[in-house]
Amino acid sequence: MGGLPHGAAWMSFDGRELSAGANGGGLSFMVDSRCLEGPAVADAEAWVFAPDDGRDAVPYDQPEVQGARRDALAWWYGMLGDALVCHTTLALDESLCAGAITVVRGQVPVRPSDDPFSRLYAPRCVPCDLFGVVDPPPGPVLERYAGAPWPGGSFGHG
Amino acid sequence: MRAGERFPDLDLPDHTGRPRRLSDLAGGDPLVLLFSRGWWCPKEQRHLRALTALQDEMEVAYSRMVVVSVDAPEVQSAFRAGLGARFTFLSDAERAWLPRLDLLEESDTTHEPYRPTSFTLFPDLTVHRRYDGFWYWGRPSAEDLRRDLREISAQVRDDFER
Repeated sequence: MGGLPHGAAWMSFDGRELSAGANGGGLSFMVDSRCLEGPAVADAEAWVFAPDDGRDAVPYDQPEVQGARRDALAWWYGMLGDALVCHTTLALDESLCAGAITVVRGQVPVRPSDDPFSRLYAPRCVPCDLFGVVDPPPGPVLERYAGAPWPGGSFGHG
Repeated sequence: MRAGERFPDLDLPDHTGRPRRLSDLAGGDPLVLLFSRGWWCPKEQRHLRALTALQDEMEVAYSRMVVVSVDAPEVQSAFRAGLGARFTFLSDAERAWLPRLDLLEESDTTHEPYRPTSFTLFPDLTVHRRYDGFWYWGRPSAEDLRRDLREISAQVRDDFER
């Protein structure tokens, strides 16, 4: 695998399990690295919206990907409330999106099929203890930072 | 707070009740920070509708917008949904920052809200420009904000002018 953009980390999904790193079998993709940096939340569930084959990925600039991100900012994060652990899109490279992962815990007031990214790929629910808590992005920025999986990354000014 | 001064790093709950810090919300990007009376004020409704229209440009321009009011988070969440806004509202229902920022609207003793005041900020929260909006025309228009965000971006993006 090539160099990682700042704010990205590799993960893999074999259709049943998620694993950190690019060599876990199945589809490999980049996630917002902050999701893997904090203390992992036990007994969480990851809703994985991803294709089985990377050839079914779609460009980030496609209207359906843009629309899912807008909806996430507008109402999805608010509906999840405290159940949200973290959320990341899945980047195959600088331009291709292979869906998203929404990580939840506890009593979840909504269904995976309500997730805006379920319009891209059907959800698969995976118990996991890999992810830490990351606040949802403030919006309205949809563009990615130097190829990092949205909403991660930064230009580093500050 | 005036141009050139560093804005305090506000810590307040957002419209979902989640604790937030202003520097995190800026996230290394230029920031528009609006102090608003609240959902009930027709001037606020009109101004925020105009600025919500600007979010379609800001979403592709690496620029952030944050609104602070004394409304409770659940009220902000409903107001935000009605506007169709995709940016963050911060709730100072406890008036934790209002007196420290010296932005109390003294003419409204019923709500004790913020006096409408807007700032454009550099990513490090240094004030670029301030707008006193007690009178509606004192508030920043979309054109004012485009100019400010262009000026800030030109200073903080090394490759803005190639």
